[in-house]
Amino acid sequence: MKEMIYQTVCPGCNIGCGLYVRENEEGTLAVDFMKSSSANLGKLCRFGMKLPYHYSKATSMVDGKEADIETAVKAASDKLKGAKNMAMLAVGATTNEEHLAFTKIADALGIVVNTGIGAYEEIPSECHSSISQGIPLDDIEKASRIALFIDPYVQYPLLVRRLLAAKKNGATIVSLACQDLNLADENVSVNPADYKTELGLDDNSMIITDVHPHTDPEQVKNLLNLALMTGAKIMFMKPFVDSTGVHLFGKTAGQMGLQEIMDGINDGSIKTLVTLNSDLLELMPNTDEAAKTLEKLDNLIVMTSRDSPVNEMANIVIATEPLYAKAGSFMNVEGQVLNNSGESTVGIDAMSTLSQNLGGEASDFQTIHNKMMESVLQKYTAPKYSELECKVMETAAPSEDGGNLVSVYNPFMWCDQTDDNDFVIVNMTMVDKLGLRKGGMISLTSDAGSVNMRYTVRDIPDGLILTMKKLPVITGNTTEVKAEAV
Amino acid sequence: MVEVGDMLVGYATDENIRSRGASGGLVTAVLAAALEKGLVENVVVMKHINEFEAVPIITDDVEEVLASTGSLHSVPVNLAKYAMGRKVAMPAKPCDAQAVIEQGKRGMIDLDNTYVVGLNCGGSMHPVTTKKMLIEMYDIDPEDVVGEDIEKGKLIFKTKNGEEKAIAIDELEEAGFGRRESCRFCTLKIPVNADLACGNWGVIGDLAGSATFCQVMNEKGAKLLGNAIDAGRIEVQPASDKAIAIRAKVNSVMEDLGNTLEKEIFPDIPDEERMQYYMEQMEDCIDCGACKEVCPVCACGDDAKCTMFHSLVDNYKMSMYHMVRLLHLSDSCIGCGQCSDVCPSDIPITLLQSRFAIPSQRRRDYKPGMNLDTPPFFEVMLK
Ligand SMILES: Cc1cc2nc3c(=O)[nH]c(=O)nc-3n(C[C@H](O)[C@H](O)[C@H](O)COP(=O)(O)OP(=O)(O)OC[C@H]3O[C@@H](n4cnc5c(N)ncnc54)[C@H](O)[C@@H]3O)c2cc1C
Ligand code: SF4
Ligand code: SF4
Ligand code: SF4
Ligand code: SF4
Repeated sequence: MKEMIYQTVCPGCNIGCGLYVRENEEGTLAVDFMKSSSANLGKLCRFGMKLPYHYSKATSMVDGKEADIETAVKAASDKLKGAKNMAMLAVGATTNEEHLAFTKIADALGIVVNTGIGAYEEIPSECHSSISQGIPLDDIEKASRIALFIDPYVQYPLLVRRLLAAKKNGATIVSLACQDLNLADENVSVNPADYKTELGLDDNSMIITDVHPHTDPEQVKNLLNLALMTGAKIMFMKPFVDSTGVHLFGKTAGQMGLQEIMDGINDGSIKTLVTLNSDLLELMPNTDEAAKTLEKLDNLIVMTSRDSPVNEMANIVIATEPLYAKAGSFMNVEGQVLNNSGESTVGIDAMSTLSQNLGGEASDFQTIHNKMMESVLQKYTAPKYSELECKVMETAAPSEDGGNLVSVYNPFMWCDQTDDNDFVIVNMTMVDKLGLRKGGMISLTSDAGSVNMRYTVRDIPDGLILTMKKLPVITGNTTEVKAEAV
Repeated sequence: MVEVGDMLVGYATDENIRSRGASGGLVTAVLAAALEKGLVENVVVMKHINEFEAVPIITDDVEEVLASTGSLHSVPVNLAKYAMGRKVAMPAKPCDAQAVIEQGKRGMIDLDNTYVVGLNCGGSMHPVTTKKMLIEMYDIDPEDVVGEDIEKGKLIFKTKNGEEKAIAIDELEEAGFGRRESCRFCTLKIPVNADLACGNWGVIGDLAGSATFCQVMNEKGAKLLGNAIDAGRIEVQPASDKAIAIRAKVNSVMEDLGNTLEKEIFPDIPDEERMQYYMEQMEDCIDCGACKEVCPVCACGDDAKCTMFHSLVDNYKMSMYHMVRLLHLSDSCIGCGQCSDVCPSDIPITLLQSRFAIPSQRRRDYKPGMNLDTPPFFEVMLK
């Protein structure tokens, strides 16, 4: 076999960084820089550079035994026919076309595809387009003032250069991220009620925040209000390669968030779960707890292009081609449709068969793609909403002998991939309080267990402990932990 | 008989290749002949996607070689790494050829089995910047561009409807467009370090635009060219004295420009401010490692000194990674610009590496990537 070169998009977040994947004669993968890609000029972050580790080929399985994809699809059809208490989940980690083909299966079953972001259900639908609609990344460079509610270095690294360019053009940056940002002119901590008066935003400003499966809807509302009141543009960054696409093309009504799906499984109202490139073991804050929940399912049917941990637990795995090889497109956070050069339709064909077996419509790549392109033009709307009512957001004060462990969600965390992030961040006050020694460790204990971690010291608010990695002690976005020196 | 030192003007005998070629298709024909006649097993060429995008491929298919005609000024890749571990022929800008030789010094490329067809290089541009420049400066839709050329200090774009528009490179660079920063201070314009040095400078009279000036730099070059003549792929004739003089004149103007720009690009920094300067420039680094991965002279694998001593848990003001790289590349950095191109934080890493490397290279009268005569010196001067 000759070397294959694929033009594709990094699945690490929704910035949509273009790249080449080179697959040599032995099947070894390497990334190469695609300098003509307007979202990233070919530049990639740590995650993008490590993509060869991320793309691991999945194997189709039925009841723990290797199977061919046809057998797996047939087995899935048999399980789904007449099944009750079903749910479907696709967070947006594959192509638009696969998402739409997956939606046809949902139509055949009379259910919706959940994209896992619970916040949407809590926010009036007239606001949804403001959250999902893309804004050109170039606009960041033109803003005169930027309020940051994320840490670009860690969470969405290809924003860093945009922000630096904005500064060169005269912008000032105020950061409300959980650690001080080098590129910010001001690093502040402001109560949501005071955003409007304290942040100095106007209609030449931009608010940059994000929305993901564990986002607090109250914060989204606060920021939508801030945008409304100041006239600032608001940009919601998103974590998955097609996060923008799935919200634009999917059905937004009756959606469940990841936590609700887990609650549904725990209370028995969901017995069969079908997922598309969405591994709940990776996506939920606590892997062990998620595993315990998924064990309660009667049927777990996983369609995936990656070999991820949930495949081991699934009753059926329908393994599709790797993401870079698929025919299809993604929509990035700007609303740009980015096409893969790959031509394989294994995944779509499998979903088409499954849909037909269930009495639904067939899916053919070209038809879906054309329809999708037509709706790109139709769906854009100007934001229209009025001020939203917000609850007061409270974070429990950390106890005397501990702190609040907060996850800084980032591309590695969303897929629980190893990185050089095996440490937590604390501030000097905590070092003094706990008597942490240089080269020593910090022990963190919560209801979920205990872990010893290396630590590094940065300027962060008192009582906070930050992690960029999934830890077994985590129980939610913020976990109260007992901290000790070891 | 082709001999070392020959200065020739030539073109592809196949009319189609000749007309598609950047200037006569000689380079393509030489590469194709090397493959056809078994001089090499593979050829590295650029596979065109569009005017602003191409991807290097390693091929043993003559048709793919023949399809790769044309110079892509807006595809600033370095080709050296694609030549590793193979018996290949390749086109090479001066910086590609330099990197091939640096890799050769470190045993990563077998120079006896690597045939390097050098291309003169006045500079390359970033594709996205070029598209923006076309819209803002040329009033041309990038989609309409079918070709480009550099002539008499002007950058010329040709469009679908047969029109041409030229703007002085100086003017473009003043407006923030034009060549990449590394190309502005690059002074190796004719690849005398390659086996053949090809370009359109010195192609005059009737042949202008449809032939290539080619200097035979060494025995391998003579073999390459002789092979293409024997295969009936090219025709050559001796270059006239006038042609040789014009080529030398343009080259010296370009070298002077590079030297002038170097002074502008690297203003002096007082010794006591140097450390602070490097730290400030690198403070937005996200440690992605792309600058190492892309570096065409870096011969270390995954377990490299720069990554081995570096961990994100450390709180150094400037990372160990960069400290080690500054030192380690001081004898090999060729200022090719690849690291700046791929840096996600837009850190001018090429400028930093070059600022660090150039003084010690100069003191030794050592220019990396020129020949195998002098081994790498690895001496550091904190200047
Ligand atoms: C970036 C660039 C700048 C140049 N600037 C000058 C100049 O200022 N003065 C001058 O005399 N000549 C310059 N040249 C060389 C000139 O344009 C012709 O390539 C040369 O005259 C040979 O012409 P040809 O018709 O024989 O080449 P062709 O037969 O058309 O073959 C061209 C070869 O170049 C390769 N190639 C195309 N783009 C690139 C690239 N970006 N990097 C590496 N290889 C590439 C192709 O794969 C192909 O093998 C430049 C070339 C490049 C690529
Ligand atoms: S993770 Fe996001 S920022 Fe990083 S390379 Fe991938 S798409 Fe770009
Ligand atoms: S660094 Fe020099 S040789 Fe390389 S592309 Fe730029 S001008 Fe050409
Ligand atoms: S350090 Fe940068 S400029 Fe120097 S050779 Fe490497 S990639 Fe080129
Ligand atoms: S490419 Fe840029 S951000 Fe990445 S390691 Fe190098 S200097 Fe740092």
